[in-house]
Amino acid sequence: MATYVDFDRVQYMADLGVKAPLCRLHFCRHCMKLRSTDCVSHEIDSHYCPHCFENMSPAEAKLKKNKCASCFECPSCFHTLSTRATGAPNPGDDPSRPAGRKVYYMGCGFCRWTTKVAGIPNQTVGSGAWSEKENTNSERINTLMEYFQQLAAIEKQEKDKKKFIRRKSFIPFSEKFGLSSTRKRASINPGLSSLSLKENPKVMDIEPAEASEQIEELSDEFIKNPLKLNEMTTLKQRLATPHFQPNFFSELYPRHKNLLTQRSLRCKECEHNVIKPEFNPCSIKYRIQLVAIYHVPEIRLFSQPNLEIGKETQVILTLLNPFDYAVTVTVHELKEAVFNAELSLPECDLSLPARDETAEFDDCAANQDFQDDPSVVTFRKSNKLGFFIKVTPKPSAAGAKVVIPFQIRYNYRNMTASSALTDPTAYETVSLQQSVFVDLGDLNSTAA
Amino acid sequence: MTKPSIKLGPGALVCLDCDIQGDVTIGARSIVHPKARIIADAGPIIIGENNLIEERAEIYNRKIDETPNQTVVIIGNSNLFEVGCYSEALKIGDNNIIESKARLGRETELTNGCVVGAGCSIFNREVLQENLIISGSNCERRVQFDRPQPQSLQLDFLHKMLPNYHYIRKKKERDTQSLKN
Ligand SMILES: [Zn+2]
Ligand SMILES: [Zn+2]
Ligand SMILES: [Zn+2]
Repeated sequence: MATYVDFDRVQYMADLGVKAPLCRLHFCRHCMKLRSTDCVSHEIDSHYCPHCFENMSPAEAKLKKNKCASCFECPSCFHTLSTRATGAPNPGDDPSRPAGRKVYYMGCGFCRWTTKVAGIPNQTVGSGAWSEKENTNSERINTLMEYFQQLAAIEKQEKDKKKFIRRKSFIPFSEKFGLSSTRKRASINPGLSSLSLKENPKVMDIEPAEASEQIEELSDEFIKNPLKLNEMTTLKQRLATPHFQPNFFSELYPRHKNLLTQRSLRCKECEHNVIKPEFNPCSIKYRIQLVAIYHVPEIRLFSQPNLEIGKETQVILTLLNPFDYAVTVTVHELKEAVFNAELSLPECDLSLPARDETAEFDDCAANQDFQDDPSVVTFRKSNKLGFFIKVTPKPSAAGAKVVIPFQIRYNYRNMTASSALTDPTAYETVSLQQSVFVDLGDLNSTAA
Repeated sequence: MTKPSIKLGPGALVCLDCDIQGDVTIGARSIVHPKARIIADAGPIIIGENNLIEERAEIYNRKIDETPNQTVVIIGNSNLFEVGCYSEALKIGDNNIIESKARLGRETELTNGCVVGAGCSIFNREVLQENLIISGSNCERRVQFDRPQPQSLQLDFLHKMLPNYHYIRKKKERDTQSLKN
C-alpha cells in the first residue's frame, strides 16, 4: 500500500517548507538537501518532436513556431496521424499511367479521421508534400510584426544613446590624446555612428485596425436548418487552431505536432545539476540523475489503520534502504510540528542491510541475524522492514485527517568529487535527517 | 434454458472453444474466435454474413422481466466485433465496428457504417445515424463521409489460418438444411 496509487500519503519536507512524496523530489548531493521541483531552476536543453524525435536548438524551434515540420496530429482527437498507402484508382482519362500506383493519405488510428475528410487530395509521395492551409491574416500579421520590430529597434537605439550620454565625461579625456572624439566614439560603439546620421528614424506607417459598422446578416440557415451536433466541432478542437477556428468537422485540417522540451534541473542554491539528461532525446538515460528515491530511506504506510479518538492504535510503517550499504535509521519526534495525535515512536535503532537487486530472485536468501525487538519490528525482508508506531488521535483530529510527523536520522555516504579523484571508493559519512509526514487517513467513522 | 441450436451458414468458421447458448444463427463466411460469447437467452440471435467476432466479444439477447415476449437480435453483414466488446443491441446493420471494450445497450440501434470507439459505452434508447463515429473518453460524436473499409482481407487470412491452430465447430447436415428453409 501507499506505493503506486497512494504515494501522496507519505510526504517529505523539502526546502521552503514544501511537502511532497519522495518520488517527486530531488536530492542535491552538494547541499545534502531535498529539493522540490519548484525550488530548482529548469533549463531547456533542446526542443524535440515527441513522434519523430528530431531535436533542434531553441532558435530553430522558435523559427518553426515550436512545431515539427514533418509530423501531424489529428485535429479531432489530437492523436498522432499515421501515413497510409492505398492503391490509387487509375484515372480513366490517362491510360498511359501504370496501374496500381500507390497514393498516400493520413489517418488517425483512434478516431478514424482521415485527410480525405478534410478534402485534402491524396499524395503521390509518402511524406513532406502536405500543403498548408493559407492563413488569410498572415499578411497583416507580418506587417504588424515588421512594425513592432522597427519600434523595438528605435527603443534599443534610445537606450544606447542614454548610455552614451552617461559616458560623455570620458570623452574629453580621450581628446587629450589627440583622438577625434567622433572617431573614438565610432570605435567604442559602431552602432552609434549610424545613430548620429539618423536623428529621427522613420517608422513605417501601418493602417490601424478599424471596427466595421456593418455586420454580416445572420443567414437564414441558422434558423431554418436543424442543428446537427454530430457535424460541429468542439470548443477544444476550435481553439487548437486559433487562426482558423473551424465550426464544422469538414473544415478540420491536420495540425503540426507541438515540440516538447528536454530540460535539465539545477539546484538554485549551489547551482549544481540535479537532473541532466543525455543530449539525444531518444535516450532514456541521464548523465546526472539525483532522484530522491535513490538517496533517502523511504517510509511507506503498510496498511490503513483503524483509528479512534483517545484510543492507542498500532500503525505499521515500512522502511526501505535504497543504498548499497547497510544503514541504521533512528526515528525521532518532530518538535515544532503541530499534529493531532499522540505518538509513541520506537526508541531502538532500525538496522537495514544493503539493497540487493538479486535478493528478490533468491529463494533461500540467507536470513541476516538482526536482534530485533518483536514489539517494534514486525517483519523483515531483504532491505525492507516493518515497524510499529503507536498512535493516539487527539480530540482535535475529529473531522480531519490524522497526519503524524516525525524525523528520521541516518548516515549518508557522500562520494565527493575531490575525494573521488584520489580514490574512487572514498567517501565521507554525513549524518542527515529528514522530516516525514504520514497521512493515516480519516478516523474510523463507525466508532463515533 | 432452451436447448442450444446453432445454425452455421456456408463457410462460417466458429471455433469450438467459444460459449454459444440458445438459438444462434451465424451467416456465411462469418468468423467467431475462441472465447467469444454469444448468449441467446430471450430469443434467437441471427448474425449475417462476413462478420468477424473476436476473442472475448460478448453478444447477448438478454432476458428482461418486463418483456416476457421473445426478442430477436439481428446483426447484419460485415460487422466487426473487436476484442472484449459487449453488445446487447437488438438491431445492428451492416459495416459497423464495435471496438475493443466498447459497450452497447439493449435500447441502442446501429444503422450502417457506425464505429463505436474503444471503451465507449452507449446505453441510450436511440438509433445511431449512418457512418457515425463515437470515440474518446467523452464519447464524442462525428459523422464520417464514408463507411469503414470491409475486413475482407483479414477474413480471408483468418479462414486460412484459424483452422490450423484451433478446433473448429463441425457443421451438421441439418444446420444447412434448416438455414435453407
Ligand atoms: Zn545544491
Ligand atoms: Zn516530428
Ligand atoms: Zn483522431
